[in-house]
Amino acid sequence: MKNLLLSSFIALLLASCSLGHYGKLVQNKNASEKRTSPKPIFGDNFNSFLFKTNITVYGKDFSGLLVTKQMSPKDYRVIFTTELGMKLFDFEFKDTAFTLHYCVPQFNKPKLLKVIQKDIETLLMNNLSVKKTEDYTNKNELFSVQRLEFDNYFNYYFTEKSSAHLFKIEHAKKRLKKTTFILSNYQNEFPGNILIRHHDIKLKIELNLLKK
Amino acid sequence: MKKLLLLLFCAISYSTFAQAPAGFKPVKDTTAFKQKMQEQSKLINSIESDFTQEKYLSVMSEKIISKGHFQFKKVNMLRWEYNEPYKYLIAINKDKMYIKDNGKVTKYDINSNKMFKSINEMMINTVQGNLLNNKDYKANFFENEKFYLLELTPTQKGAKDFLKAIQLYINKTDYAVEKVKMIEPSDDYTSIDFSNRKTNQPIADEKFIIK
Repeated sequence: MKNLLLSSFIALLLASCSLGHYGKLVQNKNASEKRTSPKPIFGDNFNSFLFKTNITVYGKDFSGLLVTKQMSPKDYRVIFTTELGMKLFDFEFKDTAFTLHYCVPQFNKPKLLKVIQKDIETLLMNNLSVKKTEDYTNKNELFSVQRLEFDNYFNYYFTEKSSAHLFKIEHAKKRLKKTTFILSNYQNEFPGNILIRHHDIKLKIELNLLKK
Repeated sequence: MKKLLLLLFCAISYSTFAQAPAGFKPVKDTTAFKQKMQEQSKLINSIESDFTQEKYLSVMSEKIISKGHFQFKKVNMLRWEYNEPYKYLIAINKDKMYIKDNGKVTKYDINSNKMFKSINEMMINTVQGNLLNNKDYKANFFENEKFYLLELTPTQKGAKDFLKAIQLYINKTDYAVEKVKMIEPSDDYTSIDFSNRKTNQPIADEKFIIK
Protein backbone atom coordinates (compact mmCIF):
# COMPACT_ATOMS: atom_id res chain seq x y z
CA MET A 1 0.00 0.00 0.00
CA LYS A 2 2.84 2.34 0.93
CA ASN A 3 4.48 1.61 -2.40
CA LEU A 4 1.27 2.27 -4.21
CA LEU A 5 0.85 5.59 -2.45
CA LEU A 6 4.43 6.53 -3.14
CA SER A 7 4.21 5.61 -6.79
CA SER A 8 0.96 7.50 -7.25
CA PHE A 9 2.57 10.47 -5.52
CA ILE A 10 5.53 10.28 -7.88
CA ALA A 11 3.20 9.89 -10.84
CA LEU A 12 1.28 12.94 -9.70
CA LEU A 13 4.45 14.90 -9.17
CA LEU A 14 5.78 13.96 -12.56
CA ALA A 15 2.46 14.53 -14.21
CA SER A 16 2.15 17.99 -12.78
CA CYS A 17 5.22 19.19 -14.67
CA SER A 18 3.95 21.46 -17.39
CA LEU A 19 5.00 22.03 -20.97
CA GLY A 20 8.27 23.61 -19.91
CA HIS A 21 9.70 20.13 -19.51
CA TYR A 22 10.32 19.78 -23.23
CA GLY A 23 13.25 22.18 -22.82
CA LYS A 24 14.69 20.18 -19.91
CA LEU A 25 14.81 16.96 -21.87
CA VAL A 26 18.01 15.54 -23.28
CA GLN A 27 17.77 13.73 -26.56
CA ASN A 28 19.29 10.25 -26.63
CA LYS A 29 20.99 10.57 -29.95
CA ASN A 30 22.83 7.29 -29.67
CA ALA A 31 19.79 5.35 -28.56
CA SER A 32 19.48 1.94 -30.11
CA GLU A 33 18.84 2.14 -33.83
CA LYS A 34 15.77 -0.01 -33.73
CA ARG A 35 13.10 2.16 -32.15
CA THR A 36 9.82 0.58 -31.26
CA SER A 37 6.48 2.25 -30.72
CA PRO A 38 5.34 2.55 -27.09
CA LYS A 39 4.00 -0.63 -25.55
CA PRO A 40 0.21 -0.65 -26.11
CA ILE A 41 -1.73 -0.01 -22.89
CA PHE A 42 -4.47 -2.46 -23.79
CA GLY A 43 -2.06 -5.18 -24.91
CA ASP A 44 -2.87 -7.63 -27.62
CA ASN A 45 -4.74 -10.32 -25.75
CA PHE A 46 -8.39 -9.92 -26.81
CA ASN A 47 -9.42 -9.03 -23.27
CA SER A 48 -12.28 -6.76 -22.45
CA PHE A 49 -11.87 -3.94 -19.94
CA LEU A 50 -14.64 -2.33 -17.91
CA PHE A 51 -14.34 1.22 -16.59
CA LYS A 52 -16.55 3.36 -14.42
CA THR A 53 -16.47 6.48 -16.54
CA ASN A 54 -17.30 10.17 -16.29
CA ILE A 55 -17.30 12.40 -19.32
CA THR A 56 -17.68 16.11 -18.60
CA VAL A 57 -18.28 18.19 -21.66
CA TYR A 58 -18.98 21.93 -21.40
CA GLY A 59 -20.36 21.49 -17.88
CA LYS A 60 -22.56 18.50 -18.70
CA ASP A 61 -21.67 15.33 -16.88
CA PHE A 62 -22.24 11.89 -18.38
CA SER A 63 -21.59 9.03 -16.04
CA GLY A 64 -21.62 5.35 -16.87
CA LEU A 65 -19.65 2.27 -17.82
CA LEU A 66 -17.21 2.06 -20.69
CA VAL A 67 -16.24 -1.31 -22.12
CA THR A 68 -13.39 -1.94 -24.54
CA LYS A 69 -12.98 -5.21 -26.35
CA GLN A 70 -10.41 -6.34 -28.86
CA MET A 71 -12.33 -8.27 -31.53
CA SER A 72 -9.42 -9.20 -33.81
CA PRO A 73 -5.77 -8.04 -33.95
CA LYS A 74 -6.59 -4.58 -35.36
CA ASP A 75 -10.24 -4.29 -34.42
CA TYR A 76 -11.50 -2.72 -31.17
CA ARG A 77 -15.04 -2.07 -30.01
CA VAL A 78 -15.69 0.63 -27.41
CA ILE A 79 -19.15 1.01 -25.86
CA PHE A 80 -20.36 3.54 -23.28
CA THR A 81 -23.61 2.94 -21.38
CA THR A 82 -25.23 4.65 -18.39
CA GLU A 83 -25.27 2.86 -15.03
CA LEU A 84 -28.89 1.97 -15.72
CA GLY A 85 -27.88 0.25 -18.95
CA MET A 86 -28.82 2.77 -21.61
CA LYS A 87 -26.30 2.83 -24.44
CA LEU A 88 -24.75 6.24 -25.08
CA PHE A 89 -22.30 5.39 -27.83
CA ASP A 90 -20.86 2.38 -29.62
CA PHE A 91 -17.62 2.84 -31.60
CA GLU A 92 -15.54 0.48 -33.66
CA PHE A 93 -11.89 1.04 -34.56
CA LYS A 94 -10.73 -1.28 -37.30
CA ASP A 95 -7.32 -0.68 -38.86
CA THR A 96 -7.53 3.01 -39.72
CA ALA A 97 -11.32 3.02 -40.17
CA PHE A 98 -13.76 4.31 -37.60
CA THR A 99 -17.37 3.12 -37.48
CA LEU A 100 -20.08 4.80 -35.45
CA HIS A 101 -22.50 1.99 -34.63
CA TYR A 102 -24.70 3.98 -32.31
CA CYS A 103 -24.82 7.30 -30.55
CA VAL A 104 -27.42 9.28 -28.57
CA PRO A 105 -28.17 12.83 -29.80
CA GLN A 106 -26.18 14.37 -26.89
CA PHE A 107 -22.97 12.90 -28.35
CA ASN A 108 -23.96 13.09 -31.98
CA LYS A 109 -22.05 16.28 -32.73
CA PRO A 110 -19.34 15.94 -35.38
CA LYS A 111 -16.67 17.91 -33.53
CA LEU A 112 -17.26 16.23 -30.17
CA LEU A 113 -17.39 12.76 -31.71
CA LYS A 114 -14.14 13.40 -33.55
CA VAL A 115 -12.39 14.50 -30.36
CA ILE A 116 -13.59 11.50 -28.33
CA GLN A 117 -12.71 9.18 -31.22
CA LYS A 118 -9.19 10.66 -31.33
CA ASP A 119 -8.77 10.28 -27.54
CA ILE A 120 -9.76 6.63 -27.63
CA GLU A 121 -7.49 6.01 -30.62
CA THR A 122 -4.60 7.49 -28.69
CA LEU A 123 -5.28 5.11 -25.80
CA LEU A 124 -5.78 2.06 -28.01
CA MET A 125 -2.57 2.81 -29.93
CA ASN A 126 -4.08 0.89 -32.79
CA ASN A 127 -2.22 1.21 -36.06
CA LEU A 128 -0.01 4.18 -35.26
CA SER A 129 1.26 5.62 -38.54
CA VAL A 130 4.41 7.20 -37.17
CA LYS A 131 6.62 9.36 -39.39
CA LYS A 132 9.50 9.78 -37.00
CA THR A 133 10.45 8.75 -33.46
CA GLU A 134 12.82 10.54 -31.08
CA ASP A 135 13.86 9.46 -27.58
CA TYR A 136 14.58 11.78 -24.67
CA THR A 137 15.45 11.48 -21.00
CA ASN A 138 14.88 14.09 -18.35
CA LYS A 139 17.95 15.41 -16.55
CA ASN A 140 17.46 13.54 -13.29
CA GLU A 141 16.75 10.38 -15.29
CA LEU A 142 13.48 9.61 -13.51
CA PHE A 143 11.58 9.17 -16.72
CA SER A 144 12.10 8.82 -20.43
CA VAL A 145 10.08 10.45 -23.17
CA GLN A 146 9.41 9.17 -26.61
CA ARG A 147 8.25 11.69 -29.18
CA LEU A 148 6.26 10.29 -32.08
CA GLU A 149 5.69 12.50 -35.06
CA PHE A 150 2.54 12.02 -37.10
CA ASP A 151 1.22 13.85 -40.15
CA ASN A 152 0.14 17.01 -38.36
CA TYR A 153 0.74 16.39 -34.66
CA PHE A 154 3.09 14.95 -32.05
CA ASN A 155 2.50 12.54 -29.21
CA TYR A 156 4.86 12.47 -26.23
CA TYR A 157 4.91 9.25 -24.21
CA PHE A 158 6.32 9.55 -20.68
CA THR A 159 7.58 6.37 -19.06
CA GLU A 160 8.74 6.09 -15.47
CA LYS A 161 12.16 4.44 -15.55
CA SER A 162 11.92 2.45 -12.32
CA SER A 163 8.61 0.77 -13.10
CA ALA A 164 8.57 1.03 -16.91
CA HIS A 165 5.00 2.32 -16.59
CA LEU A 166 3.66 4.77 -19.12
CA PHE A 167 2.32 7.52 -16.87
CA LYS A 168 1.53 10.32 -19.28
CA ILE A 169 0.78 10.98 -22.93
CA GLU A 170 0.71 14.46 -24.31
CA HIS A 171 -0.92 15.22 -27.59
CA ALA A 172 0.43 18.40 -29.16
CA LYS A 173 -0.04 20.33 -32.36
CA LYS A 174 2.70 22.74 -33.44
CA ARG A 175 4.24 22.26 -29.97
CA LEU A 176 1.06 23.48 -28.31
CA LYS A 177 -0.23 21.03 -25.72
CA LYS A 178 -3.77 20.03 -26.73
CA THR A 179 -4.53 17.00 -24.57
CA THR A 180 -2.95 15.33 -21.55
CA PHE A 181 -3.55 11.70 -20.63
CA ILE A 182 -2.58 10.73 -17.09
CA LEU A 183 -2.26 7.04 -16.30
CA SER A 184 -1.89 6.06 -12.65
CA ASN A 185 -2.50 3.39 -10.00
CA TYR A 186 -1.00 0.57 -11.99
CA GLN A 187 -2.18 -2.90 -11.00
CA ASN A 188 -0.87 -5.94 -12.85
CA GLU A 189 0.75 -3.73 -15.46
CA PHE A 190 -2.48 -1.91 -16.23
CA PRO A 191 -3.42 1.62 -15.15
CA GLY A 192 -6.31 1.67 -12.66
CA ASN A 193 -7.07 5.31 -13.47
CA ILE A 194 -6.88 7.18 -16.74
CA LEU A 195 -7.63 10.88 -16.88
CA ILE A 196 -7.93 12.70 -20.20
CA ARG A 197 -7.87 16.47 -19.99
CA HIS A 198 -8.28 18.79 -22.95
CA HIS A 199 -6.63 22.18 -22.87
CA ASP A 200 -8.44 23.83 -25.77
CA ILE A 201 -12.01 22.65 -25.15
CA LYS A 202 -13.97 21.98 -21.97
CA LEU A 203 -13.80 18.20 -22.06
CA LYS A 204 -12.61 15.81 -19.37
CA ILE A 205 -12.80 12.03 -19.45
CA GLU A 206 -12.12 9.92 -16.36
CA LEU A 207 -11.78 6.15 -16.60
CA ASN A 208 -11.56 4.04 -13.45
CA LEU A 209 -10.91 0.38 -14.04
CA LEU A 210 -13.47 -1.99 -12.55
CA LYS A 211 -12.51 -5.23 -14.21
CA LYS A 212 -10.32 -6.70 -16.89
CA MET B 1 -65.31 8.30 -33.66
CA LYS B 2 -64.54 6.41 -36.84
CA LYS B 3 -60.86 7.00 -36.27
CA LEU B 4 -61.15 5.79 -32.71
CA LEU B 5 -62.86 2.59 -33.80
CA LEU B 6 -60.20 2.00 -36.42
CA LEU B 7 -57.49 2.56 -33.85
CA LEU B 8 -59.21 0.20 -31.43
CA PHE B 9 -59.53 -2.41 -34.15
CA CYS B 10 -55.86 -2.10 -35.03
CA ALA B 11 -54.87 -2.37 -31.39
CA ILE B 12 -57.01 -5.47 -30.91
CA SER B 13 -55.78 -7.17 -34.04
CA TYR B 14 -52.19 -6.31 -33.18
CA SER B 15 -52.45 -7.76 -29.71
CA THR B 16 -54.09 -10.90 -31.11
CA PHE B 17 -51.35 -11.48 -33.63
CA ALA B 18 -48.42 -10.19 -31.58
CA GLN B 19 -45.91 -12.93 -31.30
CA ALA B 20 -45.72 -14.56 -27.89
CA PRO B 21 -42.18 -15.01 -26.52
CA ALA B 22 -41.00 -18.62 -26.33
CA GLY B 23 -42.81 -20.55 -23.60
CA PHE B 24 -45.54 -17.92 -23.23
CA LYS B 25 -49.06 -17.71 -24.61
CA PRO B 26 -51.28 -14.62 -24.90
CA VAL B 27 -53.45 -13.78 -21.88
CA LYS B 28 -57.12 -14.21 -22.79
CA ASP B 29 -58.80 -11.99 -20.25
CA THR B 30 -56.58 -8.91 -20.15
CA THR B 31 -59.21 -6.79 -18.41
CA ALA B 32 -59.24 -9.08 -15.38
CA PHE B 33 -55.45 -9.07 -15.29
CA LYS B 34 -55.24 -5.27 -15.45
CA GLN B 35 -57.84 -4.95 -12.73
CA LYS B 36 -55.95 -7.37 -10.49
CA MET B 37 -52.68 -5.50 -11.09
CA GLN B 38 -54.29 -2.22 -10.11
CA GLU B 39 -55.86 -3.70 -6.99
CA GLN B 40 -52.50 -5.14 -5.91
CA SER B 41 -50.73 -1.87 -6.61
CA LYS B 42 -53.18 -0.06 -4.33
CA LEU B 43 -52.32 -2.39 -1.45
CA ILE B 44 -48.66 -1.47 -1.61
CA ASN B 45 -47.24 1.47 0.33
CA SER B 46 -43.60 0.54 0.21
CA ILE B 47 -41.28 -1.93 -1.52
CA GLU B 48 -37.72 -2.83 -0.73
CA SER B 49 -35.61 -5.29 -2.68
CA ASP B 50 -32.13 -6.32 -3.81
CA PHE B 51 -31.46 -6.35 -7.51
CA THR B 52 -28.98 -7.81 -9.97
CA GLN B 53 -28.59 -6.00 -13.27
CA GLU B 54 -27.16 -7.70 -16.33
CA LYS B 55 -26.13 -5.78 -19.40
CA TYR B 56 -25.90 -7.91 -22.50
CA LEU B 57 -23.92 -6.51 -25.44
CA SER B 58 -23.76 -8.84 -28.42
CA VAL B 59 -20.13 -7.96 -29.15
CA MET B 60 -18.93 -8.77 -25.64
CA SER B 61 -18.35 -12.33 -24.55
CA GLU B 62 -19.59 -11.72 -21.02
CA LYS B 63 -22.37 -9.70 -19.47
CA ILE B 64 -21.72 -6.67 -17.30
CA ILE B 65 -23.18 -7.46 -13.91
CA SER B 66 -23.93 -4.90 -11.22
CA LYS B 67 -25.77 -5.35 -7.93
CA GLY B 68 -27.63 -3.11 -5.58
CA HIS B 69 -30.65 -2.36 -3.46
CA PHE B 70 -33.76 -0.28 -3.97
CA GLN B 71 -36.42 1.23 -1.74
CA PHE B 72 -39.71 2.66 -2.84
CA LYS B 73 -42.30 4.52 -0.84
CA LYS B 74 -45.59 6.04 -1.84
CA VAL B 75 -45.96 8.61 -3.20
CA ASN B 76 -43.07 9.10 -5.64
CA MET B 77 -40.07 8.27 -3.47
CA LEU B 78 -37.40 5.96 -4.80
CA ARG B 79 -33.85 5.15 -3.78
CA TRP B 80 -31.98 3.09 -6.38
CA GLU B 81 -28.46 2.22 -5.28
CA TYR B 82 -25.65 0.25 -6.92
CA ASN B 83 -23.11 -1.29 -4.54
CA GLU B 84 -21.14 -3.62 -6.79
CA PRO B 85 -18.82 -3.30 -8.60
CA TYR B 86 -19.17 0.48 -8.11
CA LYS B 87 -21.13 2.89 -5.95
CA TYR B 88 -23.79 4.94 -7.65
CA LEU B 89 -27.05 6.21 -6.25
CA ILE B 90 -30.16 7.79 -7.74
CA ALA B 91 -32.89 9.02 -5.44
CA ILE B 92 -36.21 10.50 -6.41
CA ASN B 93 -38.18 12.45 -3.87
CA LYS B 94 -41.37 13.82 -5.38
CA ASP B 95 -40.13 16.59 -7.70
CA LYS B 96 -36.45 16.35 -6.71
CA MET B 97 -33.87 13.97 -8.04
CA TYR B 98 -30.47 13.30 -6.48
CA ILE B 99 -27.49 11.55 -8.04
CA LYS B 100 -24.55 10.54 -5.87
CA ASP B 101 -21.49 9.57 -7.86
CA ASN B 102 -17.87 9.45 -6.63
CA GLY B 103 -19.08 10.86 -3.32
CA LYS B 104 -20.47 13.95 -5.03
CA VAL B 105 -24.19 14.72 -4.75
CA THR B 106 -26.00 16.56 -7.52
CA LYS B 107 -29.58 17.69 -7.02
CA TYR B 108 -32.00 18.25 -9.87
CA ASP B 109 -35.47 19.61 -10.21
CA ILE B 110 -37.33 16.89 -12.09
CA ASN B 111 -39.71 19.32 -13.75
CA SER B 112 -36.82 21.28 -15.22
CA ASN B 113 -35.79 18.49 -17.52
CA LYS B 114 -37.95 16.33 -19.78
CA MET B 115 -35.47 13.46 -19.64
CA PHE B 116 -35.43 13.38 -15.81
CA LYS B 117 -39.18 13.48 -15.81
CA SER B 118 -39.41 10.43 -18.03
CA ILE B 119 -36.68 8.57 -16.09
CA ASN B 120 -38.61 9.31 -12.91
CA GLU B 121 -41.94 8.08 -14.30
CA MET B 122 -40.36 5.04 -15.85
CA MET B 123 -38.53 3.95 -12.68
CA ILE B 124 -41.41 4.60 -10.31
CA ASN B 125 -43.91 2.87 -12.56
CA THR B 126 -41.64 -0.08 -13.29
CA VAL B 127 -41.03 -0.98 -9.67
CA GLN B 128 -44.75 -0.72 -9.05
CA GLY B 129 -45.63 -2.67 -12.19
CA ASN B 130 -47.79 0.28 -13.09
CA LEU B 131 -47.07 0.99 -16.73
CA LEU B 132 -50.45 -0.04 -18.01
CA ASN B 133 -52.06 3.35 -18.28
CA ASN B 134 -49.15 5.01 -19.96
CA LYS B 135 -50.07 6.21 -23.43
CA ASP B 136 -46.41 6.26 -24.46
CA TYR B 137 -46.40 2.47 -24.59
CA LYS B 138 -48.48 -0.20 -26.25
CA ALA B 139 -49.04 -3.22 -24.03
CA ASN B 140 -49.18 -6.92 -24.85
CA PHE B 141 -49.98 -9.58 -22.27
CA PHE B 142 -48.61 -13.11 -22.13
CA GLU B 143 -48.45 -15.83 -19.52
CA ASN B 144 -46.90 -19.15 -18.62
CA GLU B 145 -47.37 -21.27 -15.49
CA LYS B 146 -45.42 -19.00 -13.20
CA PHE B 147 -45.47 -15.52 -14.73
CA TYR B 148 -47.50 -12.94 -16.49
CA LEU B 149 -45.32 -11.24 -19.06
CA LEU B 150 -46.23 -7.69 -19.80
CA GLU B 151 -44.54 -6.44 -22.93
CA LEU B 152 -44.52 -2.71 -23.60
CA THR B 153 -43.43 -1.20 -26.87
CA PRO B 154 -42.88 2.54 -27.14
CA THR B 155 -45.18 4.50 -29.42
CA GLN B 156 -43.24 7.78 -29.40
CA LYS B 157 -40.61 8.32 -32.05
CA GLY B 158 -37.87 9.51 -29.71
CA ALA B 159 -38.19 6.51 -27.40
CA LYS B 160 -38.28 4.07 -30.32
CA ASP B 161 -34.76 5.11 -31.28
CA PHE B 162 -33.25 3.55 -28.17
CA LEU B 163 -35.92 1.18 -26.90
CA LYS B 164 -37.54 -1.73 -28.70
CA ALA B 165 -39.52 -3.11 -25.77
CA ILE B 166 -39.74 -3.40 -22.00
CA GLN B 167 -40.72 -6.78 -20.59
CA LEU B 168 -42.01 -7.14 -17.05
CA TYR B 169 -42.18 -10.61 -15.52
CA ILE B 170 -44.92 -10.56 -12.92
CA ASN B 171 -45.30 -13.36 -10.42
CA LYS B 172 -48.76 -14.92 -10.71
CA THR B 173 -49.17 -15.55 -7.00
CA ASP B 174 -48.44 -12.11 -5.55
CA TYR B 175 -48.33 -9.91 -8.66
CA ALA B 176 -44.80 -8.76 -7.81
CA VAL B 177 -42.47 -7.67 -10.61
CA GLU B 178 -39.63 -10.22 -10.49
CA LYS B 179 -37.73 -9.22 -13.56
CA VAL B 180 -37.54 -6.29 -15.96
CA LYS B 181 -35.90 -6.54 -19.33
CA MET B 182 -35.23 -3.51 -21.51
CA ILE B 183 -34.47 -4.44 -25.09
CA GLU B 184 -32.73 -2.05 -27.46
CA PRO B 185 -33.40 -1.88 -31.22
CA SER B 186 -30.09 -3.77 -31.75
CA ASP B 187 -31.37 -6.58 -29.43
CA ASP B 188 -28.77 -5.74 -26.81
CA TYR B 189 -30.59 -5.64 -23.50
CA THR B 190 -30.48 -4.78 -19.81
CA SER B 191 -32.23 -7.17 -17.45
CA ILE B 192 -32.87 -6.56 -13.77
CA ASP B 193 -33.75 -9.41 -11.42
CA PHE B 194 -35.30 -8.60 -8.05
CA SER B 195 -34.78 -10.70 -4.92
CA ASN B 196 -35.48 -10.47 -1.16
CA ARG B 197 -38.51 -8.36 -1.82
CA LYS B 198 -40.31 -6.92 1.19
CA THR B 199 -43.49 -4.90 1.00
CA ASN B 200 -45.15 -2.46 3.38
CA GLN B 201 -42.23 -2.31 5.82
CA PRO B 202 -41.60 1.10 7.34
CA ILE B 203 -38.94 3.12 5.49
CA ALA B 204 -37.81 6.48 6.88
CA ASP B 205 -38.31 9.51 4.62
CA GLU B 206 -34.64 10.44 5.23
CA LYS B 207 -33.64 7.54 2.98
CA PHE B 208 -34.88 9.60 0.06
CA ILE B 209 -32.90 12.72 0.89
CA ILE B 210 -29.27 12.48 -0.14
CA LYS B 211 -26.61 14.71 1.37
